Amino acid sequence: MVPHDALTRALQSVADVERREVDPADDLARARSASRRRTRRRLRLGLTGVTAAVVLGLGASALLPADRVESPGVELVAERFEATPYTFDLTPRGWSVQGQRPSAVTIAPDDGSTSGNPDDFVGKLVILFDTNPPDGREIQRDGRDFWVSRDSDYTTLATATRGSEPSGVVRIQYPEDTGWDLGAMVAFLGSVHVGPGARHGFG
Amino acid sequence: MRDDERSTEFVAFTRAHRPDLVRTAALLCAGDEAFAEDVVQTTLTRLYLAWPRVRRADSALAYARRSLTHAFIDEARRAHRRRETTMAEPAAAGSEPVGPEADPALREVVLAALAALGPRQRAVVVLRHWHDLDVAETARILGCSPGTVKSQNARALAHLREHLGALDLALEVC
Repeated sequence: MVPHDALTRALQSVADVERREVDPADDLARARSASRRRTRRRLRLGLTGVTAAVVLGLGASALLPADRVESPGVELVAERFEATPYTFDLTPRGWSVQGQRPSAVTIAPDDGSTSGNPDDFVGKLVILFDTNPPDGREIQRDGRDFWVSRDSDYTTLATATRGSEPSGVVRIQYPEDTGWDLGAMVAFLGSVHVGPGARHGFG
Repeated sequence: MRDDERSTEFVAFTRAHRPDLVRTAALLCAGDEAFAEDVVQTTLTRLYLAWPRVRRADSALAYARRSLTHAFIDEARRAHRRRETTMAEPAAAGSEPVGPEADPALREVVLAALAALGPRQRAVVVLRHWHDLDVAETARILGCSPGTVKSQNARALAHLREHLGALDLALEVC
């Protein structure tokens, strides 16, 4: 161990310097400007999404029990999207694919509150594909078995792939403080299709 | 949530905690005050955009510090090449220390020691020894394993001991 007071004193010599005071109004102005830019961007993307939904959504909607799944903070809509080799029948509004690999997909909130590194999973949804046996509480939905387990502030939901897909277990890990709930996540995981290019990770 | 309510809360939070975030950022950025200010501004903007989540957090300040660390690592990755030159002379980048125990010589050596660490190693030092977070929480914030935090921390402290030993700070790493 480093003696705490010596290291603290060393760090203080860098942290505690004289600085000019900044008016919080400047920070607020910058933040509001960013918020307006985000709103305009979402409006543009929304219009694009509506067009895509007309093309893709009809087939997907016909297969789903509902075209919309409400969760306290996240809305899933019946729009298909691809993160090769994975395909999703449901799209979480306000979240986007940040990284995709044969063994994992990282989906991050659009608000910029998380790291830009797709290998950093804090605050994000992560879809993983592996051969580890699923564990936790078992539940059944629409004829499929799902296993739910919790660790710290994250929940992991696992299910076996369908017979027509590469054999293995597909999982979703999600942070509990971002508005996702189990019902929405079961629906989302149930909407994942594992393509032939998927490779097992080490989990 | 109404916009004026969000703004009022945001301003109150910023007024109360901006200095804390700037001090943390100054450490993360090894005394590069301009870089630190960039990181703080980015962080505050992210907090405003995610304000409902900040409100739900057990500690808004802890949430902000986590967001600050992420912003720093993102920026450091992007800015690495551009900043290499300026970081070579870290002592010139900051301001004068203040307080009854202000020690410019100490500051100069600490800046050089911090600047020679990689961004993630510096983040480990700041989270573990400035914010006093445990290994598990540090690993969670940095998105890595506890073992990685331990090894990064050990290497960083050995490095600091080597640099700061000349100042007779009695730093011991074991």
